[in-house]
Amino acid sequence: MSTKEKSNDRKVYGLLAEYANPAKLMRAAKLSNRAGYKKYDAYSPFPIHGMDDAMGLKNSKLGWIVLSHGLVGFAGGLALQIWTSSIAYPINIGGKPFVNIPAFIPVTFELTILLSAFGAVFGMFFLNNMPKHYNTLFNSDKFARVTDDKFFICVEASDDMFSLEETEKFLRDAGATDVEVIYE
Amino acid sequence: MAKTKLIDSIEFPAEKSPLKAFVAVGAIGILLSLVGLVVNTEQFMYSYLTSFAFFISFALASLFLVMIHHITRSSWGITIRRIPETFSSQLWIYILLFIPILLGMNYLYAWTGDMGDRHPFYADLLDHKSPYLNTAFFIVRNIIYFAVWSFLGYKLYQYSIKMDETGDWGIDNAMRKISAPGILLFGFTVAFASFDWLMSLRFDWFSTMWGVYYFAMSFQALFAFLILIVFYLHSKGLLLNTVTKAHIGDMGGWMFGFTVFYAYIAFSQYFLIYYATIPEETLWFYVRFEDNWSIIAAFILFGRFIIPFIVLLGRPAKSNFKVLKFVTVLILVSHLIEVFWIVMPTLHADFKLHWIDIATFLGFAGIFLGLFFYQFSKNSMIPKNDPKLAESLNKH
Amino acid sequence: MSTNSGYVVEKPLVKGNHTFSSITALVADIVEKPTPLWWYIAFGISNLLLGLLFAMLAYLIWEGTGVWGLNNTVAWGWAIINFVWWVGIGHAGTLISAILYLFRQGWRTAINRFAEAMTIFAVMCAGIFPAVHVGRIWVIYWIFPLPNQMQMWPNFNSPLLWDVFAVSTYFTVSLLFWYVGLVPDFATLRDRVKSKLGAKIYGFFALGWTGGNRQWQHYEKSYLLLAGLATPLVLSVHTIVSFDFAVSIIPGWHTTIFPPYFVAGAIFSGFAMVMTLMLIARKIYGLEDIMTDDHMEKMNIIILVTGWMVGFAYIMEFFIAWYGGVEYEKFAFVNRAFGPYAWAYWIMMFCNVVAPNFFWFKKMRRSVAVSFVLSIVVNIGMWFERFVITVTSLAQDFIPGSWAYYSPTWVDVLTYVGTFGLFFTNFLLFLRFMPMVAIAEIKMVLPQADPHYYDEDGNEPEPVEQIEESK
Repeated sequence: MSTKEKSNDRKVYGLLAEYANPAKLMRAAKLSNRAGYKKYDAYSPFPIHGMDDAMGLKNSKLGWIVLSHGLVGFAGGLALQIWTSSIAYPINIGGKPFVNIPAFIPVTFELTILLSAFGAVFGMFFLNNMPKHYNTLFNSDKFARVTDDKFFICVEASDDMFSLEETEKFLRDAGATDVEVIYE
Repeated sequence: MAKTKLIDSIEFPAEKSPLKAFVAVGAIGILLSLVGLVVNTEQFMYSYLTSFAFFISFALASLFLVMIHHITRSSWGITIRRIPETFSSQLWIYILLFIPILLGMNYLYAWTGDMGDRHPFYADLLDHKSPYLNTAFFIVRNIIYFAVWSFLGYKLYQYSIKMDETGDWGIDNAMRKISAPGILLFGFTVAFASFDWLMSLRFDWFSTMWGVYYFAMSFQALFAFLILIVFYLHSKGLLLNTVTKAHIGDMGGWMFGFTVFYAYIAFSQYFLIYYATIPEETLWFYVRFEDNWSIIAAFILFGRFIIPFIVLLGRPAKSNFKVLKFVTVLILVSHLIEVFWIVMPTLHADFKLHWIDIATFLGFAGIFLGLFFYQFSKNSMIPKNDPKLAESLNKH
Repeated sequence: MSTNSGYVVEKPLVKGNHTFSSITALVADIVEKPTPLWWYIAFGISNLLLGLLFAMLAYLIWEGTGVWGLNNTVAWGWAIINFVWWVGIGHAGTLISAILYLFRQGWRTAINRFAEAMTIFAVMCAGIFPAVHVGRIWVIYWIFPLPNQMQMWPNFNSPLLWDVFAVSTYFTVSLLFWYVGLVPDFATLRDRVKSKLGAKIYGFFALGWTGGNRQWQHYEKSYLLLAGLATPLVLSVHTIVSFDFAVSIIPGWHTTIFPPYFVAGAIFSGFAMVMTLMLIARKIYGLEDIMTDDHMEKMNIIILVTGWMVGFAYIMEFFIAWYGGVEYEKFAFVNRAFGPYAWAYWIMMFCNVVAPNFFWFKKMRRSVAVSFVLSIVVNIGMWFERFVITVTSLAQDFIPGSWAYYSPTWVDVLTYVGTFGLFFTNFLLFLRFMPMVAIAEIKMVLPQADPHYYDEDGNEPEPVEQIEESK
């Protein structure tokens, strides 16, 4: 590795291994999972079907975030309308009851959807640690092509099993075409 | 790409057919119904219409599902397609089953008789509507409906069987060619049929949404019914690896989608009438929210919308067989009750269940399911040579 | 299989032998290349029209709504027509991005991005009309339930208020949905553009996207949930728009089929608009490999189907208007077809019910010229549909003494023309600076994106001889 001499003064962030295609990436991810690595991720230009299982990821918790937001929207919307129309300022409109539930459905529905959508988007940002404009991986020039046509696995140095030599060997054995050390 | 192979037997074994049981149930039902016909003809006619509108809704919705399947070239449902195909191939039988309704029209439809001592308004109104609401035209229209449906259902089934035998994928094009105009004819015929059978029970009432409403009810119920049939086949050890959890999950998804669609249509119809409060429109709902009919209405609201919606909202529930079984049964019961709620208030000011209601239901159930299993066991249970079968089997 | 007489195997979604990087290049290079001359010309014209819009709105606000052609009974004129028309057009974008996603229609990936952009810009154009028609725009905030010194609250029984919630929710959710889809593509541009400023700006919007599977997992879930939320939302928006009319007791407006009928009409006109824009964009940018003739054919089928749904509703309305036996309803419909606005009615009938029937024929569905012309015809027809609904029912109301013929003024016309300026200014900016095709999603529908495409060792499979396409 040509960058070895620099390693004394810079902290190692992790190892970035490149794979040729989605199938090889998935195989390597499966092996990393089986080997017991925890702090690693598989990077690709598009989501790969079956990768969650290969990496042994649990289901996303996003659904619960959305559901809770939706319930707040539903209850809040209904409460707002009932309170304003029957308590704060009751007006007789077309002889309908003050609490005119069928007429409140449209706004209740819209608010449920609106808050759920906020949950879906901002909940996803929260779970994905976004926005986070600096990322150590961006130090690698090669990594720029992950959004084009390259496939990578990065094992982070903070993983308990991480060792510069053995992990590199492991990643190469898993089919990497190239392994690069990433510094902080 | 790995191709999944068909590993199940696709022939329906005769010893597993529940045909005999249904013949027995049907025979008892028909006998009781005949007694009912003699004892209380009026009640019999209304019960009969309820059962008729309930059971034919599955066959009609099946026809729609088969045609839309061909048009969109979908692959998800190939493995279950033979079930709706079988239902819709039997639509011609309803011509015979419709004859009692024609014979008993005077009991059902007030517009067939004179207005007697009712307010002159009704006589004038009927006079206005008589070019459409008259016995001869009613019969002609129904002949047209049944001719269209029988042709479409039978022809598509025949084609599908032919593909089983010959393996000629070109038949796929023929099926698509029939289905495209078929959908168009289907839309209009079902709308007018629902006007004729159900809406004209009260000839002074009208709703442009009515056809869509009857269709939305039927299509939601169809998915519930299909899932139940698959469960039945599974319980007999059939098609376990052909119709998989993924397919059932898909059907669960569709059922959820059309639960929401049904609610949307039903709510829109109710809401526009409720909000405008025009007497000639609101009367229909007024009667159906009187006395204990309102309990029935609430049951429908919860049974086919609120409970299924909440239960099926999460993804896992859609492929949890226990949950699905509960929801499908609930939806089917609600569907029956809703048809009942549409028909019966014309006869009874308050809700009561008559024994003839049960008799005609059993009679129809026997005929409908008996014929289904009879036909279903005659050919293979899936379209075995369909070009998209492999894709459908591959589903996970 | 022994015989396959005439069975057509479905063609791959992306034509040509594309790789992942050639797809990136095809789309992202459009942003990086120097701005073409035609773009400046088109942008200039759009800007002029946008200026016209601002001038008309300023004039309207200065003078009051009297400058419009409204009269005694026609209290709603071009403003509501244009509002419904633009909102309706927007619906196809959500349909493509959400409903087709739930139905797993892979072909949507080619067109969803710019259909969604179209949605957002169309809703902007639509939103102008209800906002300015209030007359006193400076108190527009009264439509929101804000505590105020008068201690008054909005009327939650009013369909116009539901509109406020529906349209603003729709705009917000569409924008979020669009943005979520854009994040990975912004990251692609961030890693690709040469200019430092460009990389900074795209990088800002990419929010630090890395493409790690731990991100994709939540991302895909979020996208699915948004699709699930946007589907009922899009139905609700045009349903509520239809409630504006249908909860009233005006003959011709109060009919129960309005909600699904409006939704179908919205999808109908929206698809036509997507078609118009797609045919222009793919021609100019050479995207025929991504937006193929198969896409065109599928969209034309949807136009045919929704066209017939609209036709179904017209026929049901007419039938029930007679069947119902209500004198006013009967009059309203006969008046539509044979009254003073019969010309508008028959334009509508021809454009919406007759014209799409050309699409029964495969040749027509796959003809660029026919598709282009018909897509414009359909949008003309849908504009007239809203005209017929709004004006015929109001102009001849319950009191014959107040009947009068409704005509728009030059302000009405030029405001409407101006909204095209707003629409195309936005759209041209979008084409210039954003990836107009969802790059990551297109890659997903390539065969080599599926790990099962490769053999057991993860190597490229042996090339299979391609069956020549018979022309």
